Amino acid sequence: MPTSASASASVTLADLTARTGLDVLAHLEREVTVPVVAGLQAQGDLIVVPLALLGDDVTVPPRAPWQTVPAGGVELLRGVAGGNPHTLVADPGTCRWTWRAGDRQGLALGVLDAREVAYLIHPEHGGTGIAPGRYAVRRQRERGEGTGRFGNRFIAD
Amino acid sequence: MTAVTTPRGVSPRFDGSLSSAHACLSFAVALRDDWLGHAFSTRPADRPAAEAALAGLYRLAGAPPPRFRWVPSPAAAQPVLRAERPAFTRPRLRAGEAPARWADWPVASRLASLQSALRTRLARRVEGPGQLWRRQRPPWSLAARTTADEDGLDDGYALRDILWTAVHDPLRTSVLDGPRPAIRTALLPAAGTEPLGLTFHGQHDAHWIGHHDVQARLGLASYPAGDARGLALWAAVARSAGWWWPGDGVCVVAERPVEVHTEPPPGARRGERRLNHPERPAVRYADGAAVYALYGTAVPRWVVTDPTVARIHGEPNVEVRRCAIERLGWDTYVDEAGLHLLATAPDPGNPGSHLRLYHVPRHVWGAPGRVLLAVNGSAEPDGGRRRYGLSVPAGIDDPVAAAGWSYGLTGAQYARLARRT
Repeated sequence: MPTSASASASVTLADLTARTGLDVLAHLEREVTVPVVAGLQAQGDLIVVPLALLGDDVTVPPRAPWQTVPAGGVELLRGVAGGNPHTLVADPGTCRWTWRAGDRQGLALGVLDAREVAYLIHPEHGGTGIAPGRYAVRRQRERGEGTGRFGNRFIAD
Repeated sequence: MTAVTTPRGVSPRFDGSLSSAHACLSFAVALRDDWLGHAFSTRPADRPAAEAALAGLYRLAGAPPPRFRWVPSPAAAQPVLRAERPAFTRPRLRAGEAPARWADWPVASRLASLQSALRTRLARRVEGPGQLWRRQRPPWSLAARTTADEDGLDDGYALRDILWTAVHDPLRTSVLDGPRPAIRTALLPAAGTEPLGLTFHGQHDAHWIGHHDVQARLGLASYPAGDARGLALWAAVARSAGWWWPGDGVCVVAERPVEVHTEPPPGARRGERRLNHPERPAVRYADGAAVYALYGTAVPRWVVTDPTVARIHGEPNVEVRRCAIERLGWDTYVDEAGLHLLATAPDPGNPGSHLRLYHVPRHVWGAPGRVLLAVNGSAEPDGGRRRYGLSVPAGIDDPVAAAGWSYGLTGAQYARLARRT
């Protein structure tokens, strides 16, 4: 299990919500340390995939604009009717994000490049830590009404 | 900030300074919430105000003031429109049959054309949201996903950009994407039937009226006097009544609902609201006309009161089907719908949970398919874990490969999932 336990890993959900101003639902356990994962991990309808695992399926063009993840985080995806955002947060200056990723499967929202531990926060799913590295963030799809590649649709929970 | 007195009272006037921008933004947010209040109002119509404003709109269309026939709901308008049929017959949009002169068009067509032209002219006076990146700084439309509107001002974003996300977008998602389509679907005749009259939306025009009203009150857009008077008439209707159907000589106007239930969508930060009630109509009019909605999705009554497998299979709308299955529970649905279990596998990254892959026979959905049943990685407020179903291609036989497919991964890649929340 590629779960690291560095010093910065002793962050709890309570720390994350206090640091970012983002909130999670009251029933989630706030005082437990948020695990930090170096490998593949999913948060609801999003998945965080180490770029190396994807070969050349997901690429970032050389001139893609990167933004530094600000203190309030980058909102990656919202659920139906504008709800339930997945937000990427990190200590200022330690993580970059770009929306300009090419994905042969057409599922990547973008790519993150973390020098230190970054976190994903969601009101219903809580928080999860991402070890330093480069990852694609993809959304989930399901088979739609039609057939073929364009008959699929995205999941928004 | 300087306060100026306008015909509508005292408004702050934007002078470009940061403190002025903050004051203007909080004023704009208050106005937005005021317009949302009108859109979701359940007070009885202000009939004198509505009739005066509607007569004013008729005058702009070159028509004398109409008779008014008030009805308790949009559903109740249909019989009245039929009874007054000659006044509400629509012209056919064929070149050979269309009236040549403006004055010969039905008043409803003239009003629709006036509204459309007014909105085009008003929109030209409001600068669109900036879309350019400046060095590494994203345009406000992207930055707004992570930055509160007030902080955006401090970061140097322009007030006029911030107003798009602070006022325009929440009004639009809450009104245009919310009660309007829900009420139309539930209470007006289905598509395909010959429509009578042209529907105007009264309180549910609040999104475009509110947007232009805020721009004007902040002094960010100035409209020609005639357009300002026209906007004021549409605004007065939106503040005082429900939906309406203009006819030649007679205008049918609906009361507002007597009950509306909404909730902020999770994570809403800009006043957004969506229709929702788990047991009752989300919108109810005095005559009992009712609209059901769950978490913003408009659904037929049976989804809320009595979801069954037979009704789910008869429902063509996939969103409605999903809502109904979730109300029934995926486990119950899979049992009762007769899906065949193909295989199960431990869910990688979700200890103690299993993935279950079902075959869906052709007769169930009209085409053969597969459904993967998975368990959420995080607990619900009641401590349980929600099961959910995903439709996957019919060729997949392995549950882990099916889960991988949903993220564009192979089964072998997905098997390396370390954690799911």
